[in-house]
Amino acid sequence: MSAIIGTARTRADAAAKATGQAVYTADLAFERAASGVVLRSPHPFARIRAIDVARAQGMPGVVAVVFSGNTPRKPFDFSIKDQHLFPQEYVRYKGEPVAAVAAETEAQAHAAAAAIDVKYEALEPVMTIDDALRDGAQLVHPRWKAYEKSATRFMRGNVCGRNRIRRGDVEKAFERAHVVIDSSFELSHGIPGYVEPRSAAARKEPDGGLTVWCGSQSPYGNREELAEFFDLDVERVRFVNQFVGGAFGGKILMAVEWFVAALALNCERTVRMIWSRHEDGLHVFPRHGGRASFRTGAAQDGTLLGMRASFAFDTGAYLGYGSGTALIATMLASAPYRIPALDLEAKLVYTHKQVAGPVRAPGGPEATYCKELHIDEVARALSVDPLELRLKNAWVDGDESPTGQKLTSVSARETLQKSAAAIGWGEKLPPNRGRGLSCSWWFSSCGRSEAKVEVRSDGSVHVVSGNPEIGTGSAAGALPILVADHLGIDPSQVRLTLADTATRTYDGGVHGSTATFSAGQAVEAAALDVRRQLLASAEESLEARVDDIELSGGFARVRGFPDHAVAFANLAEAAGGTITGEGGAREIEDPEFDPELVQSHDFAAWMAPSFTTSAAEVDVDPQTGCVKVLKIVTAQDAGFAINPTGVVGQIEGGAVQGLGYGLTEELQFDESGIVNTGLKDYLLPTAVDAPAIEAIIVESPSSEGPHGMKGVGEPPVTTPAGAIGNAIRDAVGAVPHKTPMTPERVWRAINAI
Amino acid sequence: MMQPVNLMVNGTPYELLVHPSRSLLQVLRDDLHLTGTKEGCGTGYCGACTVLVEDAAVNACLYFAVDADHRHVRTIEAMRAPDGSPQALPAAFIECSGLQCGYCTPGMIMSAAALLASDPSPAEDDVRSALSGNICRCTGYQSIVASVMLAAARMAQHERQTQPEPSPRSRSRA
Ligand code: FES
Ligand code: FES
Repeated sequence: MSAIIGTARTRADAAAKATGQAVYTADLAFERAASGVVLRSPHPFARIRAIDVARAQGMPGVVAVVFSGNTPRKPFDFSIKDQHLFPQEYVRYKGEPVAAVAAETEAQAHAAAAAIDVKYEALEPVMTIDDALRDGAQLVHPRWKAYEKSATRFMRGNVCGRNRIRRGDVEKAFERAHVVIDSSFELSHGIPGYVEPRSAAARKEPDGGLTVWCGSQSPYGNREELAEFFDLDVERVRFVNQFVGGAFGGKILMAVEWFVAALALNCERTVRMIWSRHEDGLHVFPRHGGRASFRTGAAQDGTLLGMRASFAFDTGAYLGYGSGTALIATMLASAPYRIPALDLEAKLVYTHKQVAGPVRAPGGPEATYCKELHIDEVARALSVDPLELRLKNAWVDGDESPTGQKLTSVSARETLQKSAAAIGWGEKLPPNRGRGLSCSWWFSSCGRSEAKVEVRSDGSVHVVSGNPEIGTGSAAGALPILVADHLGIDPSQVRLTLADTATRTYDGGVHGSTATFSAGQAVEAAALDVRRQLLASAEESLEARVDDIELSGGFARVRGFPDHAVAFANLAEAAGGTITGEGGAREIEDPEFDPELVQSHDFAAWMAPSFTTSAAEVDVDPQTGCVKVLKIVTAQDAGFAINPTGVVGQIEGGAVQGLGYGLTEELQFDESGIVNTGLKDYLLPTAVDAPAIEAIIVESPSSEGPHGMKGVGEPPVTTPAGAIGNAIRDAVGAVPHKTPMTPERVWRAINAI
Repeated sequence: MMQPVNLMVNGTPYELLVHPSRSLLQVLRDDLHLTGTKEGCGTGYCGACTVLVEDAAVNACLYFAVDADHRHVRTIEAMRAPDGSPQALPAAFIECSGLQCGYCTPGMIMSAAALLASDPSPAEDDVRSALSGNICRCTGYQSIVASVMLAAARMAQHERQTQPEPSPRSRSRA
């Protein structure tokens, strides 16, 4: 049918955003709201001897003070319950919240926070993986043995997770190999880098409920978590999402929402908090730093025979999103290459750093950077062209994933060939210029999602989904296209309601490249439901058979007699004001895999896998180590691009985030904790650093996704850093094995010092 | 210790009493409720707060409101025609998808406006340098640069159509 799906369209929120009309959480106006502030630990590690809030409570303007003494003491978190809203005994990172205050003015709130008397006994922190794994190391969680955790979770001292994929015999493979190559890597922590710092407001409702205004990636999920923690009826908790100024995984876990909620539940006022960049930086959920080592054996003709890879990720003071990162890293370590013998392991280590979170494609840039630099090293040792080696070993349909999943719709080779051609692979370059490739795979995920599509009596069409619009265009770009297509209108006529749990259209949120995949299905089902109702009602008023009626331009018309028509407005009126269609995402079973091949691995089957290759061209100044990226090409398998403009936007944005990961972005820590909480010394790429980007959409349809789509929100960020690294080596013969590849590190690599 | 300040914001005069420590950004957002201008860092490193003071792009987070006394300030809210439709720059951002989350967009557009006021037909590199103080985490900048180039071309065309070619005589006089 489709004249609209798959065509380039303007997103529904573009005009509001380009003229300053779009409302973000900090733009909301509240009558007489109290200002909240968080008191944070100045130490990376300390025992809390005592907290006295009495003086603060009596300070001018103070309406509420919350701390460990008057909030629920239950632990929360993912598969290890290792974290409290406010720490009970120890603070474990610099910036960890110990109390929060609400007062009439922000200045009064700050003054009261300063008057809270916390007696700390500072302790020696564990700031690196090495320190954490040393014999007799200080335990970040001295009472780890008592923690409640899921049955499959491995835990021992400062190690809070370990998972493994094993197939075949790697030692035998290394014995048979013509070359065996070892590489090791160090990985930096990075921030999500959204430009809008987090903010939220909350108010207690007369019915015992709570309303939270925020910009969350997962309003329904956060609502459940909050309700459970504070023992509230989840149906009476309402999350009202605003426009979100970027998220990139950094707004999945609740942060500011916890504190406005705790304060609002303890007073009769709306409490709002607008975090400064510094505070947002203290409470950041960074991308995991860590280290990795790889060993691969290959035959003389370039056939890969066996690989051992091992990652250690620094997950910070609490588990956070560590499990996901570690699981994904092992799934990426050898992919997308056919390697018969594998031993891939990742472990998670506690330190006294910020809690690492699910930053866009967690584990993706980390594992792909290491693996792709390593693969180039294998190719070089064999004097085989890196493109040829990749093409020779890349999966094709029918191959198995590392965990034994049978793969279909594999486009690894196509993405390699297209991006190599676009970068001019094999053509001669001037001195100090180089090209590199990097290829990987990723998953889509399908979660619960519900939607409504309404046709109202003024003829307007509304889409109501719980899917939050965080900037990616999943809601504002793709959903109107899907609705418009089925109702025969232009996408610009579809009005979007931002996620609000009061609409009771549950959605699992934006993460795991799931947004369009799940919400798209729900919205399309709702649109079809409305379409059916419109046609049924038009059948009566037009006295025509359903088969003879078409929907176009806001009318139901009899085919061939365009003037014999009835407006949507009239149909809605006849139906009592509004015609509502409802729909949900269908449940899709995970693909099968071989459980014998994995240990402690609960993400071994990947739905609707997609493939990505980036190619980069760089110019390196060997005198200074400065790298100028001239071009990045990314060929991304989108399955089917419902909203091509949106896909290109994800590819281009991912290219520059990947560049930042590879060249400039590094959170720094010293013995006193985090160092760079601002943007002055955390270098996000600017328009001058960004290269020309060529986005190539490959469409190798999935059987699971709507219209064959695959999620593209995350994968384009996974490959650029590896491509840039390989291009640097191509240019000057050496590359640092450490992110970011700063001028100093490049210079040291060139000079081997 | 408040100070009187006369601001002309988007053509509207305001007489305000302002504490000298308050930034122009705080006054615009909190006192005048012009929330189109955003705060991303408050320290001059992201450009989300960019506004024009007498045609020059400034970081409103670092600019004391009292320093804008008797000056013309323009914000994103001024980038609409009287009928509410977007002017050339925002229109080009809409058309070229030069935005995703939209949080950097007001600042980007104001930086671009300052550039086009001083250089109506910039090269791509000029656009990139003019925007180098504005961080965008979403787009990778390519669509933003394309938006500014398109707006420049449109504005130049508009200029040509509305201003008759200068006569030979006037040219020789110049
Ligand atoms: S808010 Fe002013 S430069 Fe970032
Ligand atoms: S569009 Fe999100 S920061 Fe630029």
